[in-house]
Amino acid sequence: MDNNRQVGAYANMKSFTSRRARAIVVAIAAGSLALTGCSENKGSKSGTDSKKDQKEASVQSKPVTYVDAAGSTGPAAEVPGAKSGGTVQVYQEAGLSHLDPGQIYVSDAGQVANLLFRRLTQFQEDDKGNVSVAGDLATDSGKSSDGGKTWTFTLKDGVKDANGNAITSADVRHTVERQFAKFIFDGPPYLQTWLAGNKYASDYRKLLPGGGFDGKHLPASVLDTPDAKTVIFHFDTARPDLPQTLAMAGYAVVPAKTDTKESYDKAPVATGPYKIASYKAGKSLVLTKNTNWDPKTDSVRHQYPDGFNFTFGITETTQTKRLIADQGDDKNAIQLTGGVESTQIQDVIGNPAVNKRTVKGYQPYVMQLSFNLDRVKDIKVRQAITYAVNSKSLIAGEGGAYGGDVAPNYFAPTLPGYEASYDPYGRLKAPQGNIAKATEMVKALPAAEKKLVFAYSNSEAGQKRKVAIEDALTKVGFEVVSKEVDSASYYEQIGKLANPYDMYITGWGQDWPSPGTVITPVYDPAQVTDGSPNYAHVKDPKVKELIQTALTQDPVEAAKTWKEAEHYLLEKVVPAAPLWYTKQFQLSGSNIGGARYGSVSSLLDINRIYVKS
Amino acid sequence: MTTLTKTEDAPAPTGPESFLSVRDLKVQFSTEDGIVKAVDGLSFDVERGKTLGIVGESGSGKSVTNLTILGLHSPRSTTVEGEIVLDGKELVTASERELERLRGNKMAMIFQDPLTALSPFYTVGRQLSEPYMKHTGASKKEARDRAVQMLEKVGIPQPKMRFDDYPHQFSGGMRQRAMIAMALMCDPDLLIADEPTTALDVTVQAQILDLLKDLQQEFGSAIIFITHDLGVISTMADDLLVMYAGRAIERGSVREVMREPRHPYTWGLLSSMPRLDSDVDEALTPIPGSPPSLLNPPTGCPFHPRCAFRDEVPGTLCTDTRPSLGDGRAAACHLTAEQKQTIFIDKIQPRLR
Amino acid sequence: MLQFIFRRSVGAVVTLFLLGAVTFFLFVAAPSDYASLACGKDCSPQRLHDIREALGLDQPLAQQFWNFMSGIVMGRDFPTGHCNAPCLGVSFYSGDPVWSTIMDRFPTTLTLTLGGAVVFLVVGVGAGMLAAYKRGSMVDKVATGASMVLSSFQIYFLGPIVLIIFVYSTGWMDNPQYHPITDDPIKWFTGLLLPTLVMATIFTAQYTRMARSSMIEQMAEEHVRTARAKGMSSKYVFFRYAWRGALIPIVTVLGIDISSMLGGAVVTEITFSLQGIGRLAVDGASHKDLPLTMGVMLFGAFFILIFNILTDIAYAYIDPRVRLS
Repeated sequence: MDNNRQVGAYANMKSFTSRRARAIVVAIAAGSLALTGCSENKGSKSGTDSKKDQKEASVQSKPVTYVDAAGSTGPAAEVPGAKSGGTVQVYQEAGLSHLDPGQIYVSDAGQVANLLFRRLTQFQEDDKGNVSVAGDLATDSGKSSDGGKTWTFTLKDGVKDANGNAITSADVRHTVERQFAKFIFDGPPYLQTWLAGNKYASDYRKLLPGGGFDGKHLPASVLDTPDAKTVIFHFDTARPDLPQTLAMAGYAVVPAKTDTKESYDKAPVATGPYKIASYKAGKSLVLTKNTNWDPKTDSVRHQYPDGFNFTFGITETTQTKRLIADQGDDKNAIQLTGGVESTQIQDVIGNPAVNKRTVKGYQPYVMQLSFNLDRVKDIKVRQAITYAVNSKSLIAGEGGAYGGDVAPNYFAPTLPGYEASYDPYGRLKAPQGNIAKATEMVKALPAAEKKLVFAYSNSEAGQKRKVAIEDALTKVGFEVVSKEVDSASYYEQIGKLANPYDMYITGWGQDWPSPGTVITPVYDPAQVTDGSPNYAHVKDPKVKELIQTALTQDPVEAAKTWKEAEHYLLEKVVPAAPLWYTKQFQLSGSNIGGARYGSVSSLLDINRIYVKS
Repeated sequence: MTTLTKTEDAPAPTGPESFLSVRDLKVQFSTEDGIVKAVDGLSFDVERGKTLGIVGESGSGKSVTNLTILGLHSPRSTTVEGEIVLDGKELVTASERELERLRGNKMAMIFQDPLTALSPFYTVGRQLSEPYMKHTGASKKEARDRAVQMLEKVGIPQPKMRFDDYPHQFSGGMRQRAMIAMALMCDPDLLIADEPTTALDVTVQAQILDLLKDLQQEFGSAIIFITHDLGVISTMADDLLVMYAGRAIERGSVREVMREPRHPYTWGLLSSMPRLDSDVDEALTPIPGSPPSLLNPPTGCPFHPRCAFRDEVPGTLCTDTRPSLGDGRAAACHLTAEQKQTIFIDKIQPRLR
Repeated sequence: MLQFIFRRSVGAVVTLFLLGAVTFFLFVAAPSDYASLACGKDCSPQRLHDIREALGLDQPLAQQFWNFMSGIVMGRDFPTGHCNAPCLGVSFYSGDPVWSTIMDRFPTTLTLTLGGAVVFLVVGVGAGMLAAYKRGSMVDKVATGASMVLSSFQIYFLGPIVLIIFVYSTGWMDNPQYHPITDDPIKWFTGLLLPTLVMATIFTAQYTRMARSSMIEQMAEEHVRTARAKGMSSKYVFFRYAWRGALIPIVTVLGIDISSMLGGAVVTEITFSLQGIGRLAVDGASHKDLPLTMGVMLFGAFFILIFNILTDIAYAYIDPRVRLS
């Protein structure tokens, strides 16, 4: 089973139905193939590879810089050796949940959105993997004033939608306003929440209940469009991360005239280098060149292939088989968000011709064993468990070194502020756990505290994790009672505040490269509610204080505060035991050129690929 | 009078008057468990216009014999030795094609259960017409006329309408009448009736038997009448053959065998037959034991394990030596003629009266 | 006969309605629903409420059920537009009308089913009859042996092997895919050839065995012996008398097989990455997509009921005892 990908499924902070549902489908498909003996470890090269990956990740984790107008002007630097023409086959297991940009939050639709839709800003990555934010529709990454509470964007000239209509500030305003409409519910909530501010903290929709469709618009004090080229955002608190937020696919422009509300999800209007030729939900998506896209206005995207043919319903197992075989059309094929299926990892790395067709890198997810602080109140218990857990055996279950790496702390290698050597529990030296220390600690515990209830997902990956956790904790003297939870509603069950479990494995990754998108959602005492990702129910006042401070600081100062918060959490609060970082490992056909790992998407950089012949 | 000649090993020459002559017939089935000797050295003759009755328990080989005459045994697992001569034509070595021409034409068969022996899928009329068309080359119309005529002859009312009915729309007796009509479509010279009345009500039985007798008189066919019911046979047959374990053990005219049976098995059969004039409280005497396994038949006389009179025979004759059936009126038993007569008169006859 | 068909049709409609009700309420009773699944990890009560409202899950159950069932007959209005009858609702997950999604996937399943049926009926039943006719011969032994081996195979075992041989290692064939027959009949044929043959192979084996054993069973029937006793040729007896009776079990199983295949050849579709009804059903269930699941379930049940009636009509055609009683 594809543990690696299932990690993704469970870890993805953006991940709802499509990814989790996909995991179930994978399980069914693999079960029917009767594949047994899921790989335990993927090769002796794991050590070296991990180091190399970490080196790459150190580039991935550099702080994002904001790019000026010159850097935001197209055309994008040519991809060496790139050719025009050809059609790329794209394989994906589950269908896309959405195509309406406002509803896009998951990475599969996000990848498609990179081909279809333009936003005010976009991420730009250089050859070394350095990520910056450049202007996309806007001439640059935005100008802040008023201590970060006001952001001004000026639109580029010559940007048109697929119908040939110029994009104006009215279209951007409409894009923002429609976020408040009821039919937009699956996308990211950041911008709306920030615009609504404290006044509408309980329900941001109250700021503009009609979503701009009833003739009522956001007041100029919130969103101002003084002329056709200018867009000004006003917030009630500093929002230093706004350029990154706006680079999300969820905030891609929806030209006002083209908006068909609910129906837009089936037939959105493109602004990027490609447009939709045909779309059958869950089955196929055909993209062709958008002739109204002007490369001179775009500093990131390319338009090398004539088109993309997406086929859905191809399991990761089949995708991997097809791409390894590299026959016929599969030579021109890529994986959308799927990766190499874990039982076939050996077939890939063992064959140099195949291995050179792979891209790999860290995903932004940190998998951890979260403690329910309302039940596991003794910090000594949590510390003992943190010493005892066996990252090595857990990673083995995820497909080995290509599926994950030992996590010594709460920050993923992709996150600015990541410290590779920050390892308070000695996890790197002893990835199997510090048994001696843990055993000693457990001996000192009262008997009642030695009994722990562990919730696990009934997926195949979940079963393996259960075994690894039970083994590690039983070995040091704990008594573990494992409770199975339906994999489809796993996060729903453990997300309940009054859940009856002591601990559960959870994963989280950044929404953009800032620790604020990790510490805030996962550990903010203000977020202890049903369904919140604060699964540990952290209520520590000092954490709250640090978060509030960091959110208003400029990025350099904030980085220090986030680091302080992380160290304080890991050493003094221990809401979770860090277990492993998840990794991405994708394969493409031999006729695909320009393939490289995209740090922002954590996937193949789909904008750069071309068909070799 | 049919000549009933039999020597165990040397077949008697076929008499000019015998229409069907079976000589030293051996039929063996190979099964998973071994070889089943279903018929083991059987000889008999039937004359035109006469009726031979064959009686015996289930598994005595009576049905197998007659299926073999028609060539309806499964060729894969069955070996047939000996000879069957029908009107001068050897059947054992005849080709399937030749047999097909004879079946339903020169020789026909009436089966025991008309419900299962008629196809539920086709009309009675079609099933009657088919062999007629095949054997005589008649048109559909002619075949239909003939079938209607035959249905009428066997006593089916409104035969024109019933022609298009399916067997399940007929009553049991009607079905057997239709079956008889079917057998007589081509005016066969030999009619084999395999327990034709067993599956019928008693009242219907008598009608069917009458019908058969009338038809025989009209058509002049030879009939082999198989039954385990001695009561039926006494009214139907001219001659009688008693079979046991694949062999004939007694033969004679009906009158002779019924009046003065000579084989302990025949005695048993007669004793176990209820009679209308017997006392209600008089117990029937069943034959003790059960029919022998044909896979592994008893040595010597096959009846000896069940025979109440084997002590009367000196030595181990019964268990060692198979008694032979003589020519004509005969019984295959080691008891001497005097012993047979004494035992019959002293012990058997009182029970039969 | 017309009355029979009418009576059975009314019964089928009632059955479909009851099935719909049972599925609906079972689904609703399930521990988790689509809304909380869709709401995901950073779910807030507000967000959950929005999703429920957007999906119409905030309405009373009876109302939801009535909307669904009445939509089938009368059509329904959705924010995305009117959904014409037979409206099976709009998928929570994709937002597409369920009926059009089913109609989009159905040709794949239909092609598989009909293609497979032609193969396993012609080859399977043919081989079985031949084996029965030549019982004990070399032909029989080969047919019996091959069907024993093949029927113990499974699609998910045979499928990948066939893919490796014909697609992955040699590239002789393209990855199996459905092409509409109207676009390109050759591609339609070749696109689903492998999955059809693999599926048909398993069924062929089963039908060979079934046809052989029922023919042999029929040949031992007394009425078949009677036909031979009448002097009918063994070929005639075989094809007229024995065949007729052997048809009954074949038709029975055929009706069940075809109707369940039309409701989705799940294993074949997943093994060959095809987008048919079976795959749709699996997706619908795993997404907790109530309208889609109900739609696919009712669609499948429709075929089961239709084929039930067709099978009964076939019985009546084959067997006058059924027809005339």
